Amino acid sequence: MAVNTVDQAVISQGLIAAAREMGVKLVRSAYSPVVREANDCSAALMDRFGNVVAQAELIPMQLGPIGATFRPCADLFPTDTLVEGDFYINNDPFQGGQHLQDVFLFSPIFFQGVLVGFGATVAHHLDLGGGAPGLNPDARDVHQEGIIFPPSKYNMDHDWNGGPLERLVRANIRVPDQTIGDFNAQFAANGIGGARVQDLCARFTPDVVLEAMDELLDYSERRMRAAISELPDGVFYGEDFLDDDGISDEPLRIQARVEIKGDTVIVDYEGTCDQVATNVNCPYASTVAAGLSCVKSVLTSPDIPFNEGSKRAIEVRAPYGSILNPRRPAPVRARMLSAYRAYNAVMKALAPTAPEKVIASGFDSTEIIVLSQLGVDGYQIYLEILGGGYGASNQGDGCDAVDSPLSNCSNVPVEAMDMEYDYFRVEDYSLVPDSGGAGRYRGGLGFQRRYHILGDNVTFATYSDRFRLAPEGLFGGADGVCASTQVLRGDEIINLPSKVSFPLLKGDILVARTGGGAGYGEPGERAEDDVARDLEEGFMSRAEAAE
Amino acid sequence: MRVGVEVGGTFTDLVAIEDGRVRVAKVPSVPARPDEGAMASLAAGGIDLATVADLVHGSTVATNAILERKGAPVALLTTRGFRDVLFLQRHNRTQIYDLFYKKPEPVLARRDILEIDERMNGQGEVVEALDETATAAQLAEFLGTGRYKSVAICLLNGYAEPKHERQLAALVAKQFPDLTITCSADVTREFREYERTSTTTLAAYVQPVIDSYLRRFESQLAEQKFTGRFSIMQSNGGRLPVAGMSRNAITSLFSGPAAGVMGAVRQAGLSGYGDLITLDMGGTSTDVCLVADGKPNLSGETEVDGLPIRTPVLDIVTVGAGGGSICWQDDGGMLRVGPESAGADPGPACYGRGGTRPAITDAHMVRGTIRAEEFLGGHMDVDKDAAANVFKDLSENLDMSLEETADSAVRVADANIVGAIQLVSTERGRDPRDYVLVPFGGAGPLHAARVAEELDISTILVPPNAGVLSAYGLLASDFLQYETLTRRIALSEGEAAADQVQTLFGEMLDRITRSFRDLGIMDDLTYSYSLDMRFIGQAFEITVDIDADLLPGMTAGTLLELFNEAHNRVFSFGESGMHRAEIVSFRLGASAAPEVVPALNEGISDKVVKGQTQIFDRGEWRQCVLLSRAAIALETNGVPGPALVEDGTSTIFVPNDWTATVDDQDNILLKWKD
Repeated sequence: MAVNTVDQAVISQGLIAAAREMGVKLVRSAYSPVVREANDCSAALMDRFGNVVAQAELIPMQLGPIGATFRPCADLFPTDTLVEGDFYINNDPFQGGQHLQDVFLFSPIFFQGVLVGFGATVAHHLDLGGGAPGLNPDARDVHQEGIIFPPSKYNMDHDWNGGPLERLVRANIRVPDQTIGDFNAQFAANGIGGARVQDLCARFTPDVVLEAMDELLDYSERRMRAAISELPDGVFYGEDFLDDDGISDEPLRIQARVEIKGDTVIVDYEGTCDQVATNVNCPYASTVAAGLSCVKSVLTSPDIPFNEGSKRAIEVRAPYGSILNPRRPAPVRARMLSAYRAYNAVMKALAPTAPEKVIASGFDSTEIIVLSQLGVDGYQIYLEILGGGYGASNQGDGCDAVDSPLSNCSNVPVEAMDMEYDYFRVEDYSLVPDSGGAGRYRGGLGFQRRYHILGDNVTFATYSDRFRLAPEGLFGGADGVCASTQVLRGDEIINLPSKVSFPLLKGDILVARTGGGAGYGEPGERAEDDVARDLEEGFMSRAEAAE
Repeated sequence: MRVGVEVGGTFTDLVAIEDGRVRVAKVPSVPARPDEGAMASLAAGGIDLATVADLVHGSTVATNAILERKGAPVALLTTRGFRDVLFLQRHNRTQIYDLFYKKPEPVLARRDILEIDERMNGQGEVVEALDETATAAQLAEFLGTGRYKSVAICLLNGYAEPKHERQLAALVAKQFPDLTITCSADVTREFREYERTSTTTLAAYVQPVIDSYLRRFESQLAEQKFTGRFSIMQSNGGRLPVAGMSRNAITSLFSGPAAGVMGAVRQAGLSGYGDLITLDMGGTSTDVCLVADGKPNLSGETEVDGLPIRTPVLDIVTVGAGGGSICWQDDGGMLRVGPESAGADPGPACYGRGGTRPAITDAHMVRGTIRAEEFLGGHMDVDKDAAANVFKDLSENLDMSLEETADSAVRVADANIVGAIQLVSTERGRDPRDYVLVPFGGAGPLHAARVAEELDISTILVPPNAGVLSAYGLLASDFLQYETLTRRIALSEGEAAADQVQTLFGEMLDRITRSFRDLGIMDDLTYSYSLDMRFIGQAFEITVDIDADLLPGMTAGTLLELFNEAHNRVFSFGESGMHRAEIVSFRLGASAAPEVVPALNEGISDKVVKGQTQIFDRGEWRQCVLLSRAAIALETNGVPGPALVEDGTSTIFVPNDWTATVDDQDNILLKWKD
C-alpha cells in the first residue's frame, strides 16, 4: 500500500515536528546546565524496528548512531515482549553507546495495544559517579568514568519513580537532584513524542503511519544517494592528528580512506593509531557518527532530514583495537577529540574532489571546562563546553566563536553563573584577535574566558586539543592559531596542557583561550574591504594584516 | 470620530468609526515614507482630522529600520571584559549541519562598543565601583567624535541593580544632552546578558528613528487641525499615547500582526467567544496566535532578523504559507509549499506580472476556489490560464492531473498551518478542540475549514471586513504597558517568599501607575500579574498567571501548586517538593480600556448573490453553491457546504459537512457536523 502524496507530506512533517518538540521540551525542562544551557542532548522518533525516522537537530554526534545504541537492547529484550511503561536504557560504549555520560533512553509507543515506534532521547548527564566530579581526566579504564548501564529493559512503575533503579542511580552519583531531574525530563520528552505519534495514528490509521515512516526513510536515502552520485567515483585519503594522549607528547594519527562509488560512500579508518591508555579513545558508534556527519554536511543540503535511511548509502569502518574502535575497558570520556580528527580526516579527503563544498579545518575540538567545589552541602559542579573558530570556505570567512561542528552547545550566560556559583566569577569573555588563519577567506576567531577563583578547594578539570598542532589551512590558506590554558597566580604564569586536572587557589585567574579556524585560499587574494574591516573592528592587528 | 491607520508592507488600511458607522479605505503603502501612505489613506477615507478624537497608528517603521539596517548610529556602553557579547552571542548554530554558518549580524560594529570599569554581582552588590571622573573622561573621548545619535547602556547584572547604568546615563546626558539614551533597566530587567544587550541595543537603534517619524507625523496632523489623542500600536497587543513612545520605541515592532489579533479578539468577543485561535493568512505567510478567555498568549521573547528581543509580545507564530507561497517538488520527490514566496512582485502567476512558478493563489484558481472574476471583489484582473500553465510541470512530475496537483498543494499548505497552530496549542499544553478558529487576511477564510478538521476544531468565526481587521484592532485595543523584573526567590523560604512577591509587585505597581499618570491615563487601570517560575536547576521558566484576586492571600503553597499545574501541562511532569521550586522573574501588566469599543459590523456590502460554481476538492469536482455574505443572512437554516462565500477582499470556503450562518454581530459562523 502506497501512502498518497499529501498524507506522506503531512505525516513526515508531523513526525519531524514531534521530534523537534521532544528536543525543545527536553532542553527547557532539564536541570543540569550542560543540558539546559548547553543543549547537550538529542531526541528522535524511531519506527518499531528501532530505525531513526525523525530527529531533533541538536547535537550531530549523538544523532548518527542512536539505532546502534538501540539494537543491543532489542536483541536482549525483544520488542514483542515490551509492555506499556517499559523502557530500554544503554550507555555502554562497547555495546553501541558513546561515553557513559550520554545515557540513551527508549520508550515504546503503543497504539491500541500495538507497538508502532519508539521515543528516544539522550542527554549528557552532569555526573554519573566515577573517580572525580563531572570529569576524571586520570581515568585509565571506563570503570573509573562512572556507572555503566548495559543494554537493559526496565519499567517506569516498577523500577523508576522511587523504584530500585532510581534508588541505585541516586546513590551512586554526586548531584542526584539534577541528574534524576534530567532523567525525568528525558522520560517526559519520550512520552510527548509518543503522544504525537499516537495522534497521527488516530488520524491516519497506524498502517498508514507505519508505511509513511518507511517511505520517509526511503526518501532521505534517495536524496542522500542523489547527492553522492553527483561526485565522480574515486578513492581519496585524508589524515589529521591529535596533539597527544595527555601522557606522552606523541601525536596520534587518524587516517581516512574515502571511497565514492556510484551512489555509495565507504569511509575506512584503516591506518589509524592503536587505542591509548587515556580517555581520548572513541567508541565505534561515535566514530560512525563523526564520519556520517562529515559526509552529510559536505554533500547534502541542510534540508534533507537525517535518519536511518540517509545512512544506508554510507558505510563506516574502523579497525578493532584502534583509537576509533577501542576494546573494553578503554576509557572514552573525551572521545569527541578523536571523533573530530576522524571528521577532519574525511573532510580533508573530500577537499580535492569537492573543493566548493568543504571547509578548512577549524578549532574542531570540544574543550570541556569543569570547576568543582566540595562544600558542606555537597558538590557544586560547573561544566561548560567551548568551541572556537570554524574553518573558512570558498563562500566566506569561518564563523567566529561557535561550538564545533559535531556538537552544538550554547554557552552558559555569565549572569546565570553569577546567580548560581559563588566560587568563581567570569571577568572577561571575548574574541581572540588574530586567531583565525589568513586566507582569501580567513578562519573564524577563537575566544577566551577568564575565570577569577573566589573560593578554596576548587578543582579544575579539562580536556581539549589543538594546543600544539594547528588546524591546517586549505588551498593556500594559513593555519589557525592554537588554543591555550593558563593559570595566573600572583606574578606566576602556569601554562597547563590540554588534558589535565589541576587544583586552583583562591585568587587564581584561569584563562581558557580556544583556537581559531584555518584560512581558505591565498591570503594575497583577500578583498581589501575585508582586510580593512578586520583591522577597523580589531579582529586583526596591524602587524597581522601587513603579512 | 475614531480612526485606525495601519501601514503594512503593501497596503495602508484605514478604519474610521463615527456614531456606529464604519468607513474603510485601502491605499498602496509608500515603503520609503510610510507617513505618506498614512496621509493618503486619511484623504482616501475623506477624514476631516479636525473632527477626529482618537487616532491610532501602527506601522512597520521600527521593523524596517532593523531589517534594512537604517536605524540611528548607536554606541553601546558595557562592562569591562564584555565588549564582544553581541558577536559571541550564544555560541550555538541554528543549522547544525551547515558548514558555512553565519551568525545573525548585530546592528552595530565592534568599534561602537565601549567598555566601562565597573562590576555588579548576581545579587546586585557592587564588586567594583564606577569611577565617575575616569569614566567621564572616557566618554568624552569616545562619544565626542559625534559619530553617534543614540547610546545603549547595558551592564552586566544591571537587571539586578541598575545603579551603575543610571550613573552612566547621567554622565552621558550631562556631556551630550542631544544623545538619545537607553538603559537596559528601562527596556528589560531580565537576566542573560546576550539577550538583554541585544534588546537594549535594538531599542536604542530604533528610538531616534521612531522619534523623528512621529514628530513628522504629528506636525502633519497639526497642520490639518488635529487636536485629538494620538496613540501608537505595540507588539504586546496594546497601544500607548504617542508620548509613551519616547521610551518604548522597541515595543512598536511587529505591531501589525498584534493589531490583527486584537481586532479578532474584539470582534469574536461581541459574539461571546473568548477562547480563540487566530489565523491571519496573507500573501507571504500565516500568523497564528492562541487567545484564552479574551487574552492573547504572551511570550517573553521574540526575534527580528535573528536578533533576540526580550520584551513581552503577543505569542504569534509565523509560518511561510501564504497566497504567494511557491509549490514545488524537492529532490526526494516530496511535494512542498513555501517558505519561498512570489511575494507581491511578481506575485503568483495569475497576476500576470511575470510569475513563472506555481503559488497557492494559482492553486486556488485551478481548483476553482478563487474565481478570477471576483478576485479582490472584482477589483483586480487575474489570468486563470496562467495559473493553470505554471502547474503543468509539477503535475507531470507528480503524475497527477492539474487540479489534483493544485488540490494537493493546498492541502500541504494546510498542513503547514496546522503545524503552526500545534506550536501555539498542543506544544504549549493547550487542546485546540477547546478553541474557535478565527481566520482573516485575504486567504485565511479559504483554508480555515480544512485546517480546523485536521485539528478537530468544530467552530469557525469569520469576522466581517476581515481585510481591514488589523486597522480595526488598533481602535479596539487597550492602553497597555508591562514591567518585568528578574529576582530569584526560593519557595522554600515559605511565607517570606510570599511576602516578597507582594512587596515587589507593589513596587512595580507604583512604577507603572506613575508611568501611566505621566501619559495622562489615570482611571480604571486593570492589572495582570504573572511569575516566571522553574524548578531549581532548570534554566527555562514557565509563566504562571496569578489571579489579581488571589494575590493578597497568596501563600508559597498556592504558588507551588499553580506552578506545578503549569509545568505539568507543558512538560508532562512535575515535582512535589517545595524546596525544589523558585521564582525567577516578575511581570506586571497595566491596561486601560478605550472609552468606546466600536463594532466592525457595518459597512458590509448588502449585495445578494446566489449561484453555482464548480470546485475541485479532495480528489473530485464538486457542484458548489456560490453566495455573497448578505445572501447567507437570508438563509434561516444556514447554508450547508460545499459553498463558496465571496466577501469582498476574501473568500470563505465551506466544505461538505460544514454549515454557514450569520449571527447578529455579522460574524459568519461555520459549524462542523462531526
